[in-house]
Amino acid sequence: MSQNPYQPINGEIVDIIDESQTIKTFVIVPEEKFKFEAGQFVELTLPGEGEAPFTPSSSPADTEKIEITIMKAGRVTGLLHQCKKGQKVGIRGPYGNGYPIDDFVGKYIYIVAGGVGLAPMRSVFLTLLDRINDFKSVVCRLGARTPDNFIFKNTLFWSWQKIDGVEIKLTVDKADADWDGNVGVVTTICDKKDVDVKNAVAVICGPPIGMKYATLKLLGFGFDAENIYLSMEKNMSCGIGKCGHCMIGKYYVCKDGPVFTYEQIKQYPDIWD
Amino acid sequence: METVFINKLKPLLDAVAEQMALLLPKKTGEHYIYSRYDPSGEIPVEFNNIRPCTPIKEFLLPVCELAATSPEPLEPEDVKPFAIFGLKDCDLRSIEILDKVFADEEFRDPFYVKRRENMFIISSDCFEVGENCFCNLFGGRPFAQSGFDLNVSKVKDGFIIEAGSQKGRDFTEKHPQLFTETSGALLAERDENRSRTQRRLEQNNAEYQFDAPTKEIVEKSQDSEIFDVEARNCVECQACTRICPTCHCFYLYDTKQKDYFAKMKMWDSCMRVGYAAVAGGANPYKILGDRIKHRLLHKFVYFLDRYGKDMCVGCGRCVDGCAGEVDIRTVLKKLSEEFKDKEKAKVTK
Ligand code: SF4
Ligand code: SF4
Ligand code: FES
Repeated sequence: MSQNPYQPINGEIVDIIDESQTIKTFVIVPEEKFKFEAGQFVELTLPGEGEAPFTPSSSPADTEKIEITIMKAGRVTGLLHQCKKGQKVGIRGPYGNGYPIDDFVGKYIYIVAGGVGLAPMRSVFLTLLDRINDFKSVVCRLGARTPDNFIFKNTLFWSWQKIDGVEIKLTVDKADADWDGNVGVVTTICDKKDVDVKNAVAVICGPPIGMKYATLKLLGFGFDAENIYLSMEKNMSCGIGKCGHCMIGKYYVCKDGPVFTYEQIKQYPDIWD
Repeated sequence: METVFINKLKPLLDAVAEQMALLLPKKTGEHYIYSRYDPSGEIPVEFNNIRPCTPIKEFLLPVCELAATSPEPLEPEDVKPFAIFGLKDCDLRSIEILDKVFADEEFRDPFYVKRRENMFIISSDCFEVGENCFCNLFGGRPFAQSGFDLNVSKVKDGFIIEAGSQKGRDFTEKHPQLFTETSGALLAERDENRSRTQRRLEQNNAEYQFDAPTKEIVEKSQDSEIFDVEARNCVECQACTRICPTCHCFYLYDTKQKDYFAKMKMWDSCMRVGYAAVAGGANPYKILGDRIKHRLLHKFVYFLDRYGKDMCVGCGRCVDGCAGEVDIRTVLKKLSEEFKDKEKAKVTK
């Protein structure tokens, strides 16, 4: 291991999967084994162009390759979307904390996610699946702008829904001709009776505004703030608590997060901005 | 306390320069700026009465440096020992703050740590008080308290040298011919000088006594309009953060070189409009007043919560350097007064 924390390890993009018009999954094989926990993030470098933080969408059990699902949103992600198989990349990390899955044992897990927020949730979901009997059940409420905008369509719509101990509901903001499911934001498919709130943890991921309304809704259901886990997005640069870019109050999102309970950060006014 | 006496500075500096590169403050216009010491003696050696203009972070965290390369990885190079003369207490305390961030246990910044370990620190007492110095409001003194290898105190007939570390003691022991013994009278003179500067500092800042701990004032002023009012005097030049010895934000960016790729690490500033913008376009600090507020929250609330210290040493450089008309002391004082009034209103309610 390099003693230089800014030094990425080399890797290569071996496959690219189109998830939606603006979202692709990149399958990356690093030159060294790469271990992470669901919820931790990595810094992905496109050599010579730039670096950006992402939470992998693949299972942490696979240490040979990492999948990162990326929405075209800015300069670096735009360039990544133009990449072809064989592109060399750099990876630093993993950074921050993952979800404390061991603390979830015996409980209902209530996953609420929207848009590209489904990407890190897949990593969490796959981790939970490996030991699904440890939990009461895994209840997912997932949203996308249109049916076409759903990522991981193949698995999400079919096979995952058939797994024992898993219950999934989907919603879209705007339906198309084939859609016979719910229409509306993700909170419209959340119901107080979905889980036993006194014995449940919630895992929320998505755009800030979506996380805000989901959090408020769940608090309304009677969830305790310390049982609501949020994956916070900030413009991380160093990933190691030095560069100052990712602060939420006294916390460095890169080191103390990106996973926080609402209890930890609710006192800070600008968490949703 | 181990002290020795020396008549003139030059032999001391020459002895240091024999062992390693030495930087010392040189008067440039009204300010002191560091330059490389030249033992050939063309330039007369001068004792800087107040802190230099240059923040010491420049020698530990260069404005821009190479942080990583690919495809071949970069390992930090060894740093040759170097010495810096003329640091004041505020400078020493700023190093303590940077150490907390860059030399922490979990992730050490090896570039910083190598420079830090090889830096020989020769501090000195303040003999005057800068127009904007207010270290006394933030636990500072006009003379070194800790964190130095050698400290120099100016007295009438020469200089008292104190060793503050093993490195410092080794140095004085290796050069017995340079020094004579100190006397009680000399030490008394030093103490008298120190109290005189301390008194002057307190006089200068008498009007800035705050009505509560700054943490409480800033934390409870988040809905204050003062930040937006101050923003009208700010021209967004970012000088305050660049010149501040404790501000340490940076960003990483990637470049292409002829036959390799480089990741660079460069100073950033929370006063920059895009500082906190995320790729999706969200930006919690679009408004200048909010950036000023964040800067104060970071310095007086968040850093203190995390590391147990304010992230300001009261050196006044940001006041000196401001191209607009923002004085951090005045901002704190205004917030303090508003806070006091609010508290009073609460009581009478
Ligand atoms: S904020 Fe201003 S006074 Fe405080 S350490 Fe920085 S430059 Fe010095
Ligand atoms: S130095 Fe003054 S004018 Fe420049 S950014 Fe700072 S507060 Fe604004
Ligand atoms: S990303 Fe640099 S401090 Fe968190």
